[in-house]
Amino acid sequence: MSKLAVVSSATVLGVEGRAVRVEVHVGQGLPAFTIVGLPDAACREARDRVRAAIATSGLSWPLQRITVNLAPSSLRKVGGGLDLAIAIGVLVADDKVGAAAVTGMGFVGELGLDGTVQPVAGTVPLVDALDADVVVVARDSAEEARLVDRHVVRPVSTLTELVKALKGEEPWPEHPRPASPPGPPPVPDLTDVRGQPVARHALELAAAGGHNLLFVGPPGAGKTMLAQRLPGILPPLTPEEALLTTRVHSAAGLIRPGFGLVAAPPFRAPHHSSSMVSLVGGGTATMRPGELSLAAGGVLFLDELGEFQPSALDALRQPIEEGCVRVSRARATITLPARFLLVAAMNPCPCGQGGPGECTCTDTARLRYRRRLSAPLLDRFDLRVDVARPDVDELLRGRGGEPSATVRERVLAARARAAARGVTSNARLPAERLETEAPLTPGALTMIETSLRQGRLSARGLARIRRVALTVADLAGLEGPLRAEEIGQALALRQDPMPLDRAVA
Amino acid sequence: MSPPSLPGAAWLTALAGLPKMGPARLLAISLVYEPAEAWQAVATGQVLRRPELVERMGPSPQVVAEGWQRAAARVDVEATWADHADISVAARGDAAYPAALVDDLEPPAVVFTRGAPVLDGTPRVAVVGTRRCTRYGFDVAGELGRELAAAGMQVVSGLALGIDGAAHQGALDAAAAPPVAVVGSGVDVVYPQRHRRLWEQIAAAGSILSECPLGTPPEAWRFPARNRIIAALADAVVVVESAGSGGSMYTVEEALARDRPVLAVPGSVQSRASAGTNKLLAEGAGVVRDANDVLAAMGLPQRPRRRARKDAAPRAGPAGAVLRALRAGPGTLDSLTSATGLALGPLSVAVAELEAAGWVSRHGLWLERTKPAR
Repeated sequence: MSKLAVVSSATVLGVEGRAVRVEVHVGQGLPAFTIVGLPDAACREARDRVRAAIATSGLSWPLQRITVNLAPSSLRKVGGGLDLAIAIGVLVADDKVGAAAVTGMGFVGELGLDGTVQPVAGTVPLVDALDADVVVVARDSAEEARLVDRHVVRPVSTLTELVKALKGEEPWPEHPRPASPPGPPPVPDLTDVRGQPVARHALELAAAGGHNLLFVGPPGAGKTMLAQRLPGILPPLTPEEALLTTRVHSAAGLIRPGFGLVAAPPFRAPHHSSSMVSLVGGGTATMRPGELSLAAGGVLFLDELGEFQPSALDALRQPIEEGCVRVSRARATITLPARFLLVAAMNPCPCGQGGPGECTCTDTARLRYRRRLSAPLLDRFDLRVDVARPDVDELLRGRGGEPSATVRERVLAARARAAARGVTSNARLPAERLETEAPLTPGALTMIETSLRQGRLSARGLARIRRVALTVADLAGLEGPLRAEEIGQALALRQDPMPLDRAVA
Repeated sequence: MSPPSLPGAAWLTALAGLPKMGPARLLAISLVYEPAEAWQAVATGQVLRRPELVERMGPSPQVVAEGWQRAAARVDVEATWADHADISVAARGDAAYPAALVDDLEPPAVVFTRGAPVLDGTPRVAVVGTRRCTRYGFDVAGELGRELAAAGMQVVSGLALGIDGAAHQGALDAAAAPPVAVVGSGVDVVYPQRHRRLWEQIAAAGSILSECPLGTPPEAWRFPARNRIIAALADAVVVVESAGSGGSMYTVEEALARDRPVLAVPGSVQSRASAGTNKLLAEGAGVVRDANDVLAAMGLPQRPRRRARKDAAPRAGPAGAVLRALRAGPGTLDSLTSATGLALGPLSVAVAELEAAGWVSRHGLWLERTKPAR
């Protein structure tokens, strides 16, 4: 006499969920409990958790030969999210719960030994992968699960609760939604920044045009403080972007219980000791998204750019161009989102003083420091700005600067003009459309020609200059061809911050 | 043993290549022994019997002498001498030895010269300064080098980065009196590497001097010693830019010890690179505004002043404001915005125009005021 049950659940890979069919067979033979179908260590341990949870929930464990198959068997199953489905499968196969009660239902959750249902990382992609009308999740995952908005979400806190509901003995537990989900922590405001007009302006340009930004300045000049204020002037995420960002954060297990959608542009600031894998992602069996993906839709801030491993920095180049990371590992090849605004900060040289005649570094030290920043990476920064220590007078007595809200309005207006060109930001305007979208006045043309002839501008930099100049014009609300003023600004903000040599005349 | 037919300079060359053989020790040894004897004495450890040498051999003469003995055992004097065939090697007393060094306080026992010999009877001016100079110092050094060379001075400097290099380059550009470089490594060991071209140009047009045999690496202690030769060779020493302490200040001390006039180029009191020169001026050094000030200090006839060219630097409008703001020293876009009160748009246009015309030059994100090339 043997019985079979089939329950749906899911596992996560990268930022995508994959549906998993949990087949449980309870049949004749010596009592045993095996899980097959490529489970990882945490998944194989489900045996012990499920058995203990069923026992402590006051249900009997069938003393028969139990085989759990996780299909498709080619897909690696990771983590404890399948616990709940396995437990329900065992109960159905053992006739404790009717098979009809679980049809059209999906289960996502980890079990504690005491029968509690625990939330798991990646609830959003997991639930999204479920082809079911009703999904059962842990109580703390309910907000995340509801974001998918395709299913009836049934939050449960214990296995007992779930079994009683499935049997129809008790109604589904009502877990009131948190009255007001605690809002995101307030984003720091630009009004705190005193002086530093050029750096402020560069932030605004970066936000409006999606241009990557490099701050160069001595320690304590406020590079980090400035960068932290960038998310506050970025346009809000669109619903699709917000869902994507939430999905990434969910897959990385970064959504705190009770918090739902990640609606504000994220700000990620990985430490300079971060490995390439932690930045790019795909380091674990779940191919967990890295910092690049977590910053998608928001800002990736790399402080002390020169201190990052060269391999980690080189790995940034393809995502910056393509807006996604393709990670190939032994187990799988996945694509992770990575459309972020890159902001980096570094000292002008090891001693940090930088100015002509001020620096005390040896020549070799300067050279070595400069070489850490490869030319292809530097090229991807459209805006390179010197940040000096703010003037003491300004710091103590100066009035606060323009608040973020005002700046953000201008940014939104500029983005609207970019949208009218059919792109989300000017940085993504294809080079071939620059002639029509960003024509030049004769004065601007002369300036570009002089700069090209004097070697202060490269052909490669030309397209980038025009995009930045277009953003300058958009922010100022200017119409018509770009003037020398806009081109001049774009040029002034794109200088090599640390030329390798002071050439001998 | 090598045949005794080798010239004295050959033995001194071999001696100079021994470890821990500084100029003072080499000179002392060369004063006690004849060159061939000196090599013998060092190679056999007999130097320890001469108390006047032992007192110069540091806290542990025994160790130094043994080091010399060990190193000497591995040296083939004849082969070393053959290696130096392509350059001029002059021991003190040889005809090729620079006359200015013969009666010096600490004359080098042997001088290696690549290129032409240092001219006798031609006045020489040392133009020295910091390696980390500002654009201002760099330009002034180049101009002084050019004008002094054109006035018939041999410009002496150390071939270092910054001021030294600019002075040499200026002297080369004048294509008049040949420049003289005194280096702290062997004359075949280019240091710094970035001056490789300059090095070759000076070897071709003037002279490169050293008291170290070929192949000597640039060790830190050799540079102050090198500076005393610069001071000794020069009839006057001009410091263009220098921080309060550093190699140039050492050259100044050596010049004062030899009664050579010391002159300095004034700089902004806010510039760290001019702290040393301004201090020299405060202590009574001569002021150098141009080459004529140097000539006057040396009691030489001045060159006709070029008629003051009308300074065509823009004065009006944003460009004038930018130049005025940069007068105090280098600035960044940020500092210029607050100093001029201009918006970033007009400011960057002004900067771009000034840069294109050569009134402003860029060092990374810093802007400095310059004069357009003639």
